[in-house]
Amino acid sequence: MDESGSPVLLEHLFRRQAGRIVACLAVLLGTGHLQLAEDAVQEAMLGAAQLWPLHGVPASPEAWLFRVAHNHVVSALRRRASFERRSEALIAALEARTAHCGRVPPDELDTEQHLRDDELRMIFMCCHPSLAVEARVALSLKLVAGFSVGEIARIFMTAEETIAQRLVRAKRSIREQALPLCMPPSAELPARLDSVLLVIYLMFSGGYAVRGVEGLAPEQVCPEQVCSEEVCLEALRLGRLVCASSISAPRAEALVALMALQAARLPARVDAAGNLVLLEDQDRGRWDRDLIDLGFRYFDHSIAGEEVSEWHVQAAIAATYARAEKAESIDWPAILEHYDHLLERTGSPVVALNRAVVVSKVHGPDAALRALAPLAKESSLRGYHLLPAVQGRVFAQLGRVHEAAAAYRAALECACAEPERRFLAARLAELGGA
Amino acid sequence: MPHYMLLLHDDRASLARLGPEEMQRALEKYVAWRKKPFVVDGRRLNEQTGKVMQKRNGSVTVTDGPYTESREVLGGYYTIEAVNLDEALQLSLDHPHVDFGSIEIREVMPPAG
Repeated sequence: MDESGSPVLLEHLFRRQAGRIVACLAVLLGTGHLQLAEDAVQEAMLGAAQLWPLHGVPASPEAWLFRVAHNHVVSALRRRASFERRSEALIAALEARTAHCGRVPPDELDTEQHLRDDELRMIFMCCHPSLAVEARVALSLKLVAGFSVGEIARIFMTAEETIAQRLVRAKRSIREQALPLCMPPSAELPARLDSVLLVIYLMFSGGYAVRGVEGLAPEQVCPEQVCSEEVCLEALRLGRLVCASSISAPRAEALVALMALQAARLPARVDAAGNLVLLEDQDRGRWDRDLIDLGFRYFDHSIAGEEVSEWHVQAAIAATYARAEKAESIDWPAILEHYDHLLERTGSPVVALNRAVVVSKVHGPDAALRALAPLAKESSLRGYHLLPAVQGRVFAQLGRVHEAAAAYRAALECACAEPERRFLAARLAELGGA
Repeated sequence: MPHYMLLLHDDRASLARLGPEEMQRALEKYVAWRKKPFVVDGRRLNEQTGKVMQKRNGSVTVTDGPYTESREVLGGYYTIEAVNLDEALQLSLDHPHVDFGSIEIREVMPPAG
């Protein structure tokens, strides 16, 4: 930052540029040299961090980073050239391609298109169905979105070591299977696109999850919170990148709509004291209007065709919430209809749990209790704090305070983030020692 | 006003561990610090090239340096103005480099007379 407090570089320039350079280099070098591409980017950023503060920021930081990363690759390949015959050919290819990546001003149109294509290829490789789902998410965050291992670990509340190993295994698997960095053939495209959309949404929901903000005054910025919002916006960016390409489909637009409408609520999700605010109690004035508009634009576009996907139904739910001017005017019956539809499509116990909340709005707590009953036997919901939390709420509405208190206590015994814990403890306290 | 030199020893490993976003944030902090009014000058030392000369048994031996194998390498320096060492130290306490290595503060002696 300079004296006026404004940043020297464009916001997220390094992170954005890291993904692009890795993609550009990896497309050229092949996935066998993925690590070299990553090292080169790291080397370039390190050089910049050390040099620029003292010797000034270059006129085009993007091109500088590209050039230094490129040079690093060339010299690494030169060292190997004597015992690896392919290196010479790779160096020649790199030199030819530098015209596209490094030297040309990055805002020039065909360069921009080139970079986007490389990025898209990279996304499809990271989301290859032969990789485990959690590996796809970690790879996409690392290689495409430019997040560090530490940041990814914080987002998914996992140990850094676990994420690091996951990435190492995934990259080994990419090498061994020689996964290509190209767009999938048209016969495979629908399934491959589904994997990409799923991974983008898993990134988004990883960022969206409520995080602990213990020990921080509300006005303090929690780095995890900031980082997780960045993940949401990055997922949104990748979704839009897919939509802008020739392989887009209405379900991709529906996913972007869903993410935009949900991300719009991020600023209102926690109150000034850092406490969790339920959707219906949120101050709608704090919702991000631009994201809501964006969400509706994509949503309207997504429903123009014949296709109805799970993303469409989820987006329809988010759109119904967003359309209500105030909490009292939320169209609960419409939301319930969407949930019925979603449950039918997915059979997911988590969807069933969310549906039960909506049932209580439409048909009252007795009906909600009946909807919740079969979920107690679901093994996938065992230890999930929201099941007893919803049970507690329904019991409280029915005036069955002892059962409500028992349910809230059970919820507090599950793993959950600090703001949620405070929320549950406050509900328990309201029951007056029952 | 006396000049003080801040000699920055890099712990490459700790900076290299950062992700791009963290790296950019670190860079912004360094840039901001460089612009403080008491900073006179600052330069980075080239780490790709360097030699170390020593006289051993009567003859000068030249080896490649800097000591890339050692954990901390002198990576650059700043010159700052301060009334005394204590003030120089106080002014430098918030230098972002302390997160990524060590800083040695030394007074630059004025020319005699």
